Amino acid sequence: MSKLAFALVAVALPLTAVAAPESYTLDPYHTYPNFEVNHLGYSKMRGRFDKSAGKFSIDRAAKSGSLELTVQTASITTGDNDKGNRPRARDEHLRAADFFNVAEFPTMVYKAATVKFSGDNVSSLEGNLTLLGVTKPLALTVDNWKCGPHPVSKKEMCGANAHGTFKRSDFGMKYGIPAVGDEITLWVEVEAYKD
Amino acid sequence: MDELINHPAVQAGVAPFLAGLLTAGLLCRARLGGLAVVAGFATAVALISGFGFTPLTATRKIILLGLLAPLLGLGVDWFARPTRTVNIVLTVLSAATAVWVFWAVLVQKEFVDALRLGAIVSVSTAVTVALTLSLVSRPVRAASAGLCLGLGVGIAAVLAASTQYGQYGIALGASCGAVLLLQMLLGRGIPTGVTFALSASLLAALLGSAAFVLASLPWPALALLALVPLAARVPLPDRMPVWLQALVACIFAILPAMAAFYLTWTAAAGAQG
Repeated sequence: MSKLAFALVAVALPLTAVAAPESYTLDPYHTYPNFEVNHLGYSKMRGRFDKSAGKFSIDRAAKSGSLELTVQTASITTGDNDKGNRPRARDEHLRAADFFNVAEFPTMVYKAATVKFSGDNVSSLEGNLTLLGVTKPLALTVDNWKCGPHPVSKKEMCGANAHGTFKRSDFGMKYGIPAVGDEITLWVEVEAYKD
Repeated sequence: MDELINHPAVQAGVAPFLAGLLTAGLLCRARLGGLAVVAGFATAVALISGFGFTPLTATRKIILLGLLAPLLGLGVDWFARPTRTVNIVLTVLSAATAVWVFWAVLVQKEFVDALRLGAIVSVSTAVTVALTLSLVSRPVRAASAGLCLGLGVGIAAVLAASTQYGQYGIALGASCGAVLLLQMLLGRGIPTGVTFALSASLLAALLGSAAFVLASLPWPALALLALVPLAARVPLPDRMPVWLQALVACIFAILPAMAAFYLTWTAAAGAQG
């Protein structure tokens, strides 16, 4: 019996090793949420958040994973931070209570507990976005996904681009609608290193 | 019609003014003209952002207090007299509400910073409310103070990167202006009581504090705005016609607000305190 038990453990061990989830820490210098919003119906204005942090885990055997991304809302930039002769700059307005209210809500958080795969690659994430104290579902479609060693450091890493859309009014950010669009497209570029 | 209702001048100006005028006109004989403030402010809120109180953000707390203040004011007007003790209690309560409104921001700060911010918003609120309550027996001055407080906070908030607080402030000024206009047309003061004074001053003070904490209003500008009701106490002969009293009081009351505008305009972007 002991031989049988030993044999079973010996067979099972490699399988448990393969099934173990892998944990990655997002590289803050290569992870940026960007956004796009309609401006007056004439153009789509783009901006991004310069500071974010987070982790994700992936279990390729079990086809599961999770992601948590915390974004510093005060790091928003649309390229207009110098008011000049105007009463305010656009980025200053975006940080104020009319939009992201960064003093009261310094972070926005995306947490995904459901990861879908297409073969061995992650194809989409289903999770929740918390913005201005309101949490709503948000699905992200993964446009590309790659894992491998860093060409210089050889450290194991993964990278991806993902996008999703949501209505800012669902989170209580109603100022300027419809002149400044309600629908926001979120584009996220992510690189992360294995822990 | 939608375009008209969504126009900022209608949301923050015309609609609150008409709501205030209607309320003051219909209810002044019942000594409820002071409700014009909440009528105008509530109209603006309904058009600009709607009523929703979850999550209870700082802005929503201000709106909630704006709806509750007139109830407290009515209670004082009907069941008590605006004595010095009552005024002190209302002033202290108002200062406490300022801390409650911005509590979520204060708890994120280091202790010294939180103390400084909390002191600025509570003291400025207390001063604004106390000075306006001292005008309860002089309704023309009170309405002049309310008009200039509302316009002052509204314009300063726009300059400080918050158009929404600007709209709320201007709406407050519009509804107070409606009460002032009615008094000018009737040629006599309309008793508006603590209901008017508390509602107008508390809302103006909290909106100004919000522009300081959550936007870019410099604290000296907030301090200047708190002095608007003091400037409305300019000595005037009792026999002066009401319309002239109102005009002169407004000219003096807007002066500290104009100083606040200048300070806000020239302040560096993002400066606070």
